[in-house]
Parts: sequence; structure tokens; C-alpha cells
Amino acid sequence: MATTALPQARSYRRAAAYDWITTVDHKKIGIMYVISSFFFFLVGGVLALVIRTELAAPGLQFVSEQTYNSIFGLHAVNMIFLFVMPMLTGLGNYIVPLQVGAADMAFPRVNALSLWVFLAGGLLIESSFLFGGAPVGWTMYAPLSTHVPETGVNLLVLGLIMTGISSILGSINFLVTIFRLRAPGMSLLRMPMFCWTQLVTSVLLLFSIPVVTAGLIMIFIDRNYGGGFFEPALGGNPILWQHVFWFFGHPEVYILILPAFGIVSEIIPVFSRKPLFGYKAFVVATASIGALGFTVWAHHMFTTGAVYLPFFAFFTFLIAVPTGVKFFNWLATMWGGKLTFDTPMLYACGFIALFLIGGLDGAFLAVVPFDFMVQDTYWVVSHIHYVLVAGSVFAIMAALFYWFPKMTGRKLDERLGKVQFWVLFIGTNLAFFPQHLLGLDGMIRRIADYSANAGWSELNFLSSVGAFVIAFAILIFLWNVFSTLRSPANAPDDPWDANTLEWATTSPPPVYNFDHLPPIRSERPVFDLKHPGTGHAPAAASLAVTEGPVQ
Amino acid sequence: MRVIHAARAATRYLSWIGLATLAALVLSACATRGNDHPTSPGTPALLPGQVVTEQGRQAADLYLPIFLLAVAIFILVEGLLIIVAVRFRRKRGDDALPGQRHGNNVLEVLWTAIPALVVGILFVVSTGVLLKVDAIAPNPAVTVDVTGFQWQWTFDYHDQGLSFTGAGKDGPEMVVPVHETIDIRLHSDDVIHSFYVPQFFRKLDVVPGRINEFQVNVEQEGTYGGQCAEFCGLSHSDMYFTVRAVDRATFDQWVIDEQAKAAQTPAPPPSGAPAAATISLSASNNLAFDQATLTAPADQPLTIKFANMDPANPHNVSIKGALADGKDWIGLPITKPGQDAVYEAPALKAGVYTYYCSVHANMTGTLTVQ
Repeated sequence: MATTALPQARSYRRAAAYDWITTVDHKKIGIMYVISSFFFFLVGGVLALVIRTELAAPGLQFVSEQTYNSIFGLHAVNMIFLFVMPMLTGLGNYIVPLQVGAADMAFPRVNALSLWVFLAGGLLIESSFLFGGAPVGWTMYAPLSTHVPETGVNLLVLGLIMTGISSILGSINFLVTIFRLRAPGMSLLRMPMFCWTQLVTSVLLLFSIPVVTAGLIMIFIDRNYGGGFFEPALGGNPILWQHVFWFFGHPEVYILILPAFGIVSEIIPVFSRKPLFGYKAFVVATASIGALGFTVWAHHMFTTGAVYLPFFAFFTFLIAVPTGVKFFNWLATMWGGKLTFDTPMLYACGFIALFLIGGLDGAFLAVVPFDFMVQDTYWVVSHIHYVLVAGSVFAIMAALFYWFPKMTGRKLDERLGKVQFWVLFIGTNLAFFPQHLLGLDGMIRRIADYSANAGWSELNFLSSVGAFVIAFAILIFLWNVFSTLRSPANAPDDPWDANTLEWATTSPPPVYNFDHLPPIRSERPVFDLKHPGTGHAPAAASLAVTEGPVQ
Repeated sequence: MRVIHAARAATRYLSWIGLATLAALVLSACATRGNDHPTSPGTPALLPGQVVTEQGRQAADLYLPIFLLAVAIFILVEGLLIIVAVRFRRKRGDDALPGQRHGNNVLEVLWTAIPALVVGILFVVSTGVLLKVDAIAPNPAVTVDVTGFQWQWTFDYHDQGLSFTGAGKDGPEMVVPVHETIDIRLHSDDVIHSFYVPQFFRKLDVVPGRINEFQVNVEQEGTYGGQCAEFCGLSHSDMYFTVRAVDRATFDQWVIDEQAKAAQTPAPPPSGAPAAATISLSASNNLAFDQATLTAPADQPLTIKFANMDPANPHNVSIKGALADGKDWIGLPITKPGQDAVYEAPALKAGVYTYYCSVHANMTGTLTVQ
């Protein structure tokens, strides 16, 4: 055979930094989201350590009230808006196009814009430290937030508006990617659960972020131009801000936890070697959590005396049901399986074990007369940390261990990973469980100091020790990442014997993700490929023709 | 071998959860009981502490059954997780696939319907209690109008013509009779606060622009601490008050005594003591005093006339190291935006002092006493 040797086209070489800054590749953008949000996680973590160090003993030892009041709010803002949200967005950015078999997100340039607007917003928020801080809490309750003179509050508000714009752009991008770019054969009900949770999360973002953005602009006008939206003396209403904020703020909780549910629902079937038990029930539960998420916002406002209590109590109880369904589905997935406890699975099980506590202590809060006692106390602090640390952070850790080989071609060290899991597990319980008792005893949140004779010193000290144990676990993780990245690539394309399409390409994937796709006949196309005829999908022989695109 | 390994893993797993819980419980049991702190109803524990109102008791009674239910669910789920982790661990070298079950509709319906039933019951029961806790009787025995403003409380007894204001940790005291309906009406002058007495098992926000109201029947005599529970700015941590519940006779006597005190005109200073010297000062904007330096005579009590002309921020006047024990003298109450105040500062020895606003630590000036 005669061949003509064509000169190999040399790719245009650019500096790596220029390449990363100008990239529109969803994988690079995803990795940049992950890295930058981890940076903000470290900032928020240091703030948490400052808080816990100050509270370890009664008396003001390390920071002034003024500083403390800025720190607890910025800790929350860092963790919620600059860590968990963009981390989950970043993981989704990397994984969703791969899982649906697409070459990239639907709007790659908009995707890059989202990242850079988020980063700019994040830096704007951090800059508030240089301008007097932002002593308003992450909830920014008016009229306190419109009265305090610190310039930092303006920067916080502007930064949040920017991260909000980034989230709106990102959610549109996810929705279009999921609805338009799925590979042939992948109907919505064959979509991996992580994609489903990203879909519902994107809908929540799209409906809630514009509301809070409008509210933030009103706060900005009130602060700087005397708008009076939330100022009773000018005919405004401070309760209005709480409605606007929590109409966003409660769906936000599900924005932070639904993708975590998705991650756990990806990992448990793989390490149990079984399909997700009750896939359709799971989809229904996810969608109903999304819908009900918009009916419960005022349960954050039970003590304002300004809301119709039974309505919001009813829906708050109701939303516990689909969440409970998920627990049983996960357990039923494992039941009768063949389980291996690699680090991602350990974290997924840790998630189930501890997120349960966050669900149970949350159910107490739906009991309005009990909420009157513990609202704004450490009970609520404990609840939100069981949801966001034992929930979101454990799931994020599971995801990082699970997808690290796909992103880098290297498996994180399993031994270090397991040690880190147990350290984090102990630290989380040590830090947050005692806070239930403190809250039930009347210790309110957002105080820089408490009395030495209140009987709270021991439990606070215990909680502070726990915070440092958590910090140690994060150091182990950083060391693990650092040492793994220095070692040679060792991971095969499908190191976990997994189910979904991201494992059908190389690790890391090429720029356009796939050379060819396996046929998609269930939510586990890679499993079907490896075990023909055993799964949900009919054996290949029964499929005469290649299926066309399915809507 | 494998079974032992799995069992060990399970024990380890169980013990960590147990350990954290136990550590918390044991430590809380060791904790010294703090009776004199303004907000603590006793030793922190997994059950509510002392509750002294009829309404609060009804709410607190809901806790134990819900707690037991939560413990039952906790044991069920964690137990299943441990059983699954031990029983279905993959054997080394076992490459066969387990049965590929995709779901079971009966199970799905069951584990949707049973939790729905449970939360339905919880909703009905808790709403019943809520209606009692929130009930407003038409003719309360005593009505107290509470005003919260930055880091201070005012308790007004309009029927008795009494008013008490206190700032920071020296918050005012509310005296109420036991076994009678006390009506508490909440007003705010600036930002949102929250009126919280842990022993009442109740808080209610103090919101500018609206009046919130709730009622309590205190069942036990005693002094109970309260604290602002909604973050309200700089000294939120210190916004204390107390409630003292007494029998009716003591309450009536207290009213008479306080009315007599209020009717008294302040006694003129004893002839031997030096007369008070008066200094004036103001703050207009930019978080600064209008006067950078002041002078005052030594060894005379000072009357400080302060005009807060700042349209947006509360201020006061405090003097560093002015008290006999070397501590700062803090001018209270803090003056609201646009208002005037008169502070009575102690006599100072000759020297140079710094005066400042305790709300804004950067607002300072120099006071020369000679």
C-alpha cells in the first residue's frame, strides 16, 4: 500500500499559563473551579479556626468583638458561596459533559466567563477584609446590614452579586448541555444520577439567584443612596429582606446538598457492584426536593412573629420524606452487593452515617415550639455543620478521591485517604456534636464570648479540639494530593470498575473527550459493555439498529 | 479471618460514633453547674434544662418523644449500615457479580408512606402545642413594653409608670408576678434584636417597624437570665437582661418602692463635695468626635454633655483608665443617632487621658485634666 508521509502538523505552542487563562475546555475550567474553590475553603477554614480558638475558653483572648463579628460571617460566605457551590459546579463542569457523552459544555465561552466572574467576585469578597470587614453575618439582615458603616459590606454585596451572575450563567449552561448534548441513546431516564442532581440544582439556581440578586441590589441602594427598602422609618420593611434572602437561602441549602446526593449515588453502586436501587424513585425524590425546596423558606423566620407558621412547618416536615427515601435507596443498593471500601466508598458511607444526624436534628427544628427555643442557638450551628460538613464536604471528598484518577491519571494514596477519612470523621463529630447540647442549654450563636460560669467551657473546648482535628485531616489531604501529583501516572482508564461514560475514555480525557462512545441502553453504559446481558439493558444482540438521538 | 476483620471494622466504626457521643455526654455531666450566668438553664445535656413557664413547659414536653423517635431512626439506619458493611463485604478474589436488583415498588411505597405518616403526626401534635404557646389572653395581669436598641434594653411598665434601662452586661431587670399572665410587647428602635430567656423556652424577634407580642405564665419564683439572640452589631454578645419572678405581694411592694424612687428628685450634692464640672462634646460624621482635645479640672466629677449629630451611627463617650481600679469608664446608655445625652463621669486625677467611643474604637480624643 502506497502511503504518502505527511509532515505532522505541530500544535501551536503557548505558555501553559496563557493556555489555562484562555481555555474554554470544560475540563480545564472544571479543574480551575476545583482548585480556586479549594483555596477559598482554606481561607474559610482558617477563619473557622480563629472562631474556634476564640471560643475555646470564655473571655476575649485573640480577637476583638469587631473582628469576630466580621469573621463568622465571612467564614460562612467563604464556605457556602466560594467553596461548596463552586466546588460542586467545578465537579459538574468536569463530569457532566463526560457522563452525558458530550464533547464540551453547550456554551464553552460562557463557561469560561462564569469561572472568571466567579473568581473576580470571590476576590472582591475577600477584599472586604481590607476595608473594615463585613460585620453583618452571611444573612446580612437589614437594617443592621444597611446601617453599619464598614465599606467591606459594599464589597461583600458586590462580590455576591458577581458570584450570583456566575451561577446563573453556569446553570443555564448545565441545563442546555443536559437537554441538548446528550449522546444518542441517553434518554433522561438513562442519565447518571449525578447529572440529574446537577439538572435540578441548576433549576433551583435559576429561580432563586435572581431573587437574592435583586435583594442585594436593594441592600446596596439602601446603604449608599438612602433607598429605604428595608428601613421602617422610610416606609420599608426589614422582614421583606428576610423573605427575599431565604427564598433564595433555602433552595440554596439544596443547591449545596443535591449534587452531594448525586455523588454518593454514583459511588455506592460502583463499589457495591449493583445498580442504584430504585433509580426512578430517586429521580422523583430529587425533583420533589427541588420543588418543595421553594415552599419552606420561612422556617428560618419562625421567630420573627411575621410568618404564617403552620404552612411552613407543614412543608418543612414534608420535605423530610423524599430525603428519607434516599437513605433507604442507598442502603438497599448496598444490600446484597459485594462491597469494597476504597476511600470514595468510605466517604460515601460516612456521608450516610453523619448526614443522618443533620437530618434528624433538622426535623426537631420543624417543630415550631421547639424552634422558638433553639433558633439562633448552637443547635442550629450544629445542624448546618452536620449538613454541610458531614454532608457536602464528605461527598466532595468522596468525589475528589473518586474522580482524581480521571482528572490527573493518578490515584490518590489509598492508605493516606483512609487515615484522613477516620481523622475527619472523628473531628467532625467532636467539633459539632457538643454544639447540640450547648444550643439546647441556650448558648446563642454569633457571640464572641460567653460567661465563664455558664457551664459551657468544657463543651466549647471539645468543639475547638474537633475543629483542629478537622484541619489536620485537610492537611493530610493536601499532602496526599501533593505527593500523588509528583509521582508518575499510574491510574488506568477505569480504575474503580465503574459504570458511567466518563470511564469509557482515557484518563485524563482528550480535548474532545471521546473517540467513540459505547452504545447507551441503561444508566450504566460502561457496565453493560463489560458485562453484556447481565444488567438492566437488553443484550446487544436484541438491538438491531443503532438508536437515534433521544429527547 | 475475613469475618473477624469485618467485625473489627464494624466495631471500630460503631465505637467512633459512640465515642463522640459519649465524650460529649460525660463531659457535660462533669461540667460545673452555672446558676449565675444570665442565660444558662443548667448543665448542657441532651435533654432540655429548667423550664419555668406554663407555655415553655408544654413546648419542652414535646422534646423527649421526638428525641426517642430520632434515636430509634438513628439506630435503625446506622444499624442497617453496619450490618450491610459487615455482611456484604466483597471477598478477596471474588469476581462474580452480585444479583442486579433494580428496585422494588412495594418497598418504595412503604418507605415513603411510613415516614410521611410519622411527620404527619408530628405536624398535627406540634401545631396543637404551637397554638397554646402562641395564645394571647385578653386581660393580662402585667404588660411590659420591651424596647431593644443597640446593646441595651428598656422595660416600660406603662400601667405602673415605671421604666428601666440597662446597657451591655448590666442589662435591666424585669420583675413579674408568678402564676399570672404576663404580656410582653417587643419594640425596636434600630435593628433587629431577639428577646430570649432560655428558661422560658422561647424567643421572639424584636423587629423595627412592628410590635411582636407573646405571653407567659411563670410557674416558679427565681431569677432568670436573658440575652439578645439575633446578631445586632458590635456588642451583641453582651446584650443581657434578667427576669425576676416573685409572688404577688412582693411584686406589689416592688412597684410601690420603685414608684417612690422614681418620684424622688435627685439629692443635691453634699455641701463638702466638689461641684461637678461640665464639658461639652459632639460627633457629626466620619466616625470622629468634633473635638480632638478637651480640658477638664481635676478632682471634680464631670458632667459630659454629648450631642450625637451623626445621622447614622450610635456613639457614646468613654474614658480610658478613668476608674479607681484602672479600668475604662464607659458612658451609658449609648446615644442614638441624632440625640443628645448627659453622662456623669467620676472625678479624675490630673493627667492626660484618652476618650473614645466604645462603639467605634477608632473614635478617640485627648482629655487633659489639670
